[in-house]
Amino acid sequence: MLSLTNVSAGYDGVDVIKNISFDVSGCVSIIGPNGCGKTTLLKAIANTLPSKGNIKVLGKSFRDMSRREVSLNVAMLSQQPSIYFSYDVFDTVMMGRYLHIKGRITGSPTQHDNLVVTKSLEAVDLLEEKDKNITKLSGGQLQRVFLARALAQEPRIILLDEPTNHLDLKCQVELITYLKKWATEGNRAIVGVLHDINLAMLLSDDMIVMKNGEIATNGKATEIIASGLLNQVYDMNVTEYMRGVLCKWGV
Amino acid sequence: MKIKITAAICISVIAIILGVVFGSIYIPTTDVLRIIGHNVFGLNLPEHITVGRVGIVWSQRLPRTLLAFVVGAMLSVSGAVMQSVLRNPLASSYTLGVSSGASFGASLFILAGITLPFFPMLSLPIMGFVFGFATIFIVMAMAKQLDIRMENHTIILTGMVFALFINAITTLMFSLFREGTQRMVFWQMGSFRLLGWETVLLLAPISLIGILIIAFYKWELDIMTFGEEQAQSIGVNTGRVKLMLLITSAALTGSAIAFVGIIGFVDLVAPHIVRKIFGSSHKHVIPMSAIVGGTFMVVADLVARTITSPSELPVGAITAIIGAPFFAYIYFTKRKGH
Repeated sequence: MLSLTNVSAGYDGVDVIKNISFDVSGCVSIIGPNGCGKTTLLKAIANTLPSKGNIKVLGKSFRDMSRREVSLNVAMLSQQPSIYFSYDVFDTVMMGRYLHIKGRITGSPTQHDNLVVTKSLEAVDLLEEKDKNITKLSGGQLQRVFLARALAQEPRIILLDEPTNHLDLKCQVELITYLKKWATEGNRAIVGVLHDINLAMLLSDDMIVMKNGEIATNGKATEIIASGLLNQVYDMNVTEYMRGVLCKWGV
Repeated sequence: MKIKITAAICISVIAIILGVVFGSIYIPTTDVLRIIGHNVFGLNLPEHITVGRVGIVWSQRLPRTLLAFVVGAMLSVSGAVMQSVLRNPLASSYTLGVSSGASFGASLFILAGITLPFFPMLSLPIMGFVFGFATIFIVMAMAKQLDIRMENHTIILTGMVFALFINAITTLMFSLFREGTQRMVFWQMGSFRLLGWETVLLLAPISLIGILIIAFYKWELDIMTFGEEQAQSIGVNTGRVKLMLLITSAALTGSAIAFVGIIGFVDLVAPHIVRKIFGSSHKHVIPMSAIVGGTFMVVADLVARTITSPSELPVGAITAIIGAPFFAYIYFTKRKGH
């Protein structure tokens, strides 16, 4: 569904990610230390940052796609942005229908748009809050609003850029579990950048580990952890740390 | 929502009527309506309405009040756009120095007596637009140099420092001309004095076109308040949209300021009130900012010319008396919120 071949991208002429290649069909997590280029990679896939190499979505190269076409297929769920102006929950989710609405001569939402927004809100269990102001919501509810907005885009791929930051444990697990279900049941894909290795493993069996802008390894999460590679990537004994945490839990 | 919109429109109509009725002499509403009927539809005038009163209503107060409404609408819509595009509730043409830049450009042309070839009528609005537009880019570039994260207070502080600097140059320019000081006071604090129908008829279509262009981007404005990256991932071509919106709002501010001088704070106060009453959706924010801003300016002008009648205060002094504390209120409540 998503294929990257020798993709490089960066800022001010300096490549932050170099020659990245992988294929995704389903869910994949990307982990790695701060500054290794995870977010840059997501921006390249979302086409919000120019890149070299070749990115294909559903077999079609970005070179042959307009920005509109890319956004119709790829949505992004990031950390919660600062909110300066308040909107209703329903109106916020309707923004995800932007490309569908703007594509029409009338430039107005139709019954179908209303239906898609309602279903998206239903999916994240926020339909009852649809008239509520987003500034009145909790962090977890707000992130679900942004998830509903991404769902309303009706994409085939959702990119996650550490969307669980500032969420409590229950909200984190619920969000990732829902997204995994969404991808699996609808033959869609998710590329998730997550700092928490446990959440990364909850999202997907496959894992991409990045270091210094390159892919350090790519494969089954259990095999990567067993190999001890994460100790090198994070420059700490991750295995011992995890074992210590589990001991405290009495496991 | 419909009730609120209808109420706002009714209040604006009442404000315009009051703006024509009151002044150094009181002219009853019925007489005002008869004079308008006479000039627009050719209806007969009762004998008690003198030629002098017809002149006051038709040649002075009505164009002046309508001009105040149009200018208030232009500045407020421009302010609403800047706040949304820059995601900064304190951004406005005034606080970003656009008004000062536009005023500098226009006064340069006035004092040098230059007019553009082919479109002499449009010389002032074009210069106001060019200088206003240039100012916003200079201010943003300076703010970025000072603070790569472009924090709200850096942008506002840079804009205000730049505005003070440009105002000082404009003041200096006026001072070099005989009898320039009196003119300067009104220019730097704004006035609708001595402006007639020709200015109304020039600015009204500019404002209408500008506001319609901005209204076309209502969805993009909504989405961009969540940040450029979010907007891009939803499919908004942020670079193109941002440029188009800033050009249009600079054109609105620049062409208005070029005729009436610097009038501050209306572009901050009106959109803020609108967001409180009508919500943040730009399908309401844009048209209602025009109506509320226009009404606010009509009332400010009415106060400016009646409070010390028969002499007159600069209208910018009235808007600043209301706007400056309002600015402080937003600044400190937002800081507290963060």
